[in-house]
Amino acid sequence: MDTRVFIHNFIFDELLRGACDTPLNDDEDLIESGVIDSLGIMSLLIFIEEHFSIKISPDDLVPENFSSINTITMLVNRQINN
Amino acid sequence: MSKSFSPEQEKLRKIVIEFARQEINPGISERDREGVFSQELWQKCAEMRLLALPFPEKYGGDGFDFETTVSVFSALGYASKDSGLVHAMITQVLCGIQLLHFGSEKQKLDLLPDLAGGKQIYAQAITESESGSNALHMKTSAIRNDNGYLINGAKTMISNGPIADQIILFAITDPNKKVLGGITSFILPSDTQGYSTGKPLDKLGLRTLKNGELFFDDCQVGEDAVLGREGQGAILFNESMEWERTLIPACLLGEMERIVEVCTAYAKERKAFGQSIGNFQAVSHKIAAMKMNLELGKLSLYNSAQLKDAGKRATLETSITKLFISESLKQACLDAIQIHGGYGYTKEYEIERDLRDSLASTIYSGTSEMQANIIARIIGL
Repeated sequence: MDTRVFIHNFIFDELLRGACDTPLNDDEDLIESGVIDSLGIMSLLIFIEEHFSIKISPDDLVPENFSSINTITMLVNRQINN
Repeated sequence: MSKSFSPEQEKLRKIVIEFARQEINPGISERDREGVFSQELWQKCAEMRLLALPFPEKYGGDGFDFETTVSVFSALGYASKDSGLVHAMITQVLCGIQLLHFGSEKQKLDLLPDLAGGKQIYAQAITESESGSNALHMKTSAIRNDNGYLINGAKTMISNGPIADQIILFAITDPNKKVLGGITSFILPSDTQGYSTGKPLDKLGLRTLKNGELFFDDCQVGEDAVLGREGQGAILFNESMEWERTLIPACLLGEMERIVEVCTAYAKERKAFGQSIGNFQAVSHKIAAMKMNLELGKLSLYNSAQLKDAGKRATLETSITKLFISESLKQACLDAIQIHGGYGYTKEYEIERDLRDSLASTIYSGTSEMQANIIARIIGL
């Protein structure tokens, strides 16, 4: 399973928790749609840091990096490659 | 089971305990009664380098790791009877940690030395009159203009607020965005035009800590006042809570250790029905429960501190630490009064002050109910 699928599945299963029947669009704005809120982002960070064995630095802890599955995937891949 | 400290930590703790007993505790009953924050004691604590512990030397700090900082503040909570002053110091250190992790290099070089040296007092301004537990649903705004940002609004309950030289302020910069992305934090000097404070609040406990309202009436700040980046405020707040929910419980745990000692000594000394009251299970079980919570609290506290030192995320662990230790301390203080009977209710035995001071601990830095919400959310409920 690639990075994008892991992230999609976590958001779908853990943050949406059955509130949505259709798969999430990779470009959908997760913050504006309320899928990721101020607590949800902490759950997401715990997941991606543990699952991918990375550390997101304070400089990267900006909303733009968490606005969609695409931006989260790019952030994680960037950290993995670093 | 007791936490083992390194020789350096032991040495620091011993020095701080002696300092607190000799310098901080005299006069606490009067300061508590009158609600006096002692500038002189603040300076003495700064000279002891208590405000400098976790900051790198290049920014005027002493470069200790977070676990050592936690162990020293726990010793301070244990020995100091002035919980308000200790809380003022924690507020200062936590503002410094926010600066250290999110500030620009220039902000760190400009501000941290005076923060670590206690020359400038810091406050963190989040809470508003209509947003307590839901702290990020604020109304204070910072509207962009040609010169930076124009800030308007009011904050309340702010620790150190009435005496602060610098305020780390959270405000809405984009009302069209959700909380994540719509809030930004700023560093605002108290001499900014349009800034004012209300009278310090008269409180039940922590009476030597100055809390109050802050007013921002067309306060103009430059772009260089932003801490972190525009829209990063909510994330910065979440991040800083992990440090706060470790450092505050460190002091609370120290207070609990003192309560256990005081109650144990009293239960051995006080006689009733021809024997020490500690022989009665109604008393000894209460103290046993205090001791159990103290030791479990230590495990939780130092686990949280070590996670932060390791650069790990500790949202779940720090919420558990804060919830468990604050509730345990409050219960320990209530039981201490019960064990001391009528004497516990008098000012002479000083336990009533511990109880009054402890009551706020399950409210500030996120109520116990909010900690339970966080824990539930993190485990997927």
